[in-house]
Amino acid sequence: MTEDDDAVARSFEESWGRLVAGLIGWCGDWDLAEECAQEAFTAAVVAWERDGVPTSPLAWLTTVARNRARDRLRRRTTEEAKLSLAHVDSDEAGVPDEDIPDDRLRLIFTCCHPALPMPARIALTLRTLCGLTSAEIARAFLVTEPTMDKRLVRARAKIKNAGIPYRVPPPELWSERLEGVLAVLYLTFNEGYAASSGESLLRVDVSAEAIRLTRSLADLVPGEDEVRGLLALMLLTDARRAARVRHGHVVPLAEQDRSLWNREAVAEGVALLGGEPPWGPYAVQARIALCHDVARRPDDTDWAAIGHLYTLLPATPVVELNRAVAVSMTHGPEASLTMIEPLADELADYYLYPATRADFLARLGRNDEAVLELESAIELAPTGAERRLLRERRTRLLGG
Amino acid sequence: MKFLLLHTLPPDIEQIDGDDISPGMDSRLLAWVDEMSGRGVLLDGSRLRPSSDATTVRAPDGRPVVIDGPFAETKEQIAGYDLVDCDDRDAAVAIASAHPTLEVGSIEVRAFDPGMPDPDVPDSVAPGRFRYLMFVLAEMRREAAAATSDSPPAEEEGDDTDIDAWVDSVSDRRIYGWPLDWPDTAVTLRRQDGRIVTTDGPFAETKEQIAGYDLLECRNLDEAISAAATHPMATRCAIELRPLWMWPRD
Repeated sequence: MTEDDDAVARSFEESWGRLVAGLIGWCGDWDLAEECAQEAFTAAVVAWERDGVPTSPLAWLTTVARNRARDRLRRRTTEEAKLSLAHVDSDEAGVPDEDIPDDRLRLIFTCCHPALPMPARIALTLRTLCGLTSAEIARAFLVTEPTMDKRLVRARAKIKNAGIPYRVPPPELWSERLEGVLAVLYLTFNEGYAASSGESLLRVDVSAEAIRLTRSLADLVPGEDEVRGLLALMLLTDARRAARVRHGHVVPLAEQDRSLWNREAVAEGVALLGGEPPWGPYAVQARIALCHDVARRPDDTDWAAIGHLYTLLPATPVVELNRAVAVSMTHGPEASLTMIEPLADELADYYLYPATRADFLARLGRNDEAVLELESAIELAPTGAERRLLRERRTRLLGG
Repeated sequence: MKFLLLHTLPPDIEQIDGDDISPGMDSRLLAWVDEMSGRGVLLDGSRLRPSSDATTVRAPDGRPVVIDGPFAETKEQIAGYDLVDCDDRDAAVAIASAHPTLEVGSIEVRAFDPGMPDPDVPDSVAPGRFRYLMFVLAEMRREAAAATSDSPPAEEEGDDTDIDAWVDSVSDRRIYGWPLDWPDTAVTLRRQDGRIVTTDGPFAETKEQIAGYDLLECRNLDEAISAAATHPMATRCAIELRPLWMWPRD
């Protein structure tokens, strides 16, 4: 790879979302914006090698993409295209020298609009803001490429035909819609994190994309503590990535090689957690992750603090299950076993419910019951790596 | 009397343009529209965007909850509507039976509550605006309601003043709207073995049924969502927003 190819690759990472967001704002056509952005990058590979990298790559890319878009609109004959062309020709707005933050923000809110199905929100965000191809997103979410294409086509059609606005939401919708954006980013991160231990090595790093996007969002809306809280949560969780899988096996927290944890990521996460209480749910979860990150050995973990932090979260069944684990470390497994009894129905399909029960039972020496619970957990586990981990625990209980 | 003709299509067809469903469909549709408009029967109507473009809104505690997709996953999906004015139910059924939808789908004929004025619907949509049909979905069981009242739920519980206040609050984007009569008075038409067959009742036995609709014209979906979320029925009913199928302007 030459230096200029490198420059294109770097520019792609830095500029794709800005370029597409600006183009959509300019021409109002999502498909056209993406096609022309793609062509501009293709042209950059040749031109930048020949002429050198321009001083403002984004401005260069925008000019090329806009010219391509005008050409395409001229070739179309429909009334709609003529109107668009008249619109873009009359648009006096110059080519941006630098980033126009509002355009990317508009794009994030539109991609994460609650009228779109959640899988489409995630796919659209990764496609238009991060520049992942439909094939890459399909692989990341273990669906076929035609399925992913259809999902993206339907989502763009709905934006156009149902009138989903391309805008930053007005004040009365701000907090609700921002919450929705954070939910999409968090789910994307989690999907990527879980998949990193899955079977396929070809899958792109979706959680890294989620972190990068959340970092941009934190820059775009600096006053929002929960955005910083979510970024901190991602960084403080991702810090353990290198230790989480060994030879394709998921390594439980207590058995991880803590020297592999990324201290820089932890430091960056800590720096983001300046907000005063009451903390939002992401900031609380980030602090829980931090309790683990700062413990040099598993025995150093401040379980009392973790148990308290869980009480600050909305008491969903999964939160209660996690709180019970913390309580078991300070008050013993017997108490926790009783605590999670009422969650059985609501968590009937969640593999960590029987897995957690198995852990409590084993610590009480009730191995036969623990083995039965592990067997249910193996049935319900979502990935092969997690199933393997549960089987190993079962073998250990049986073999002593 | 005024009736709603509710067109439904199987899911594999609802995304497709008329002429791609069957050759000449669009011209047969235009012929029907021309004839019924000419006779003064057809007062309003449109094809609707497919169910994947639908958005459902509930506001159980006043805060809007927005869900993608239609209110119910039914075998056939609502694909269009017509508002017709004629002498009686038999006349409405005759009008519906001439409609080309029956080549591929079904039509439910539902009476409106009495007293509905003729709507004034501008032919063209204002530039940059979208039209939505806003269905109010309610559990409509006559037996359950009989104990308290014999009117459909849209009129129960002294909601009239609330509805009036809502109508005022959305006057900038609401074109017209009216409640419907009980779904058990509905008649559904389908083609079977080359003949049109009429059955009593709505097109699908869902828990919630259409209790009425409003036609909205808004700048964007968020304006329609806020109209739906503030509707007095939104605290206990689902409200589905369906964009009208806008034909390209060429």
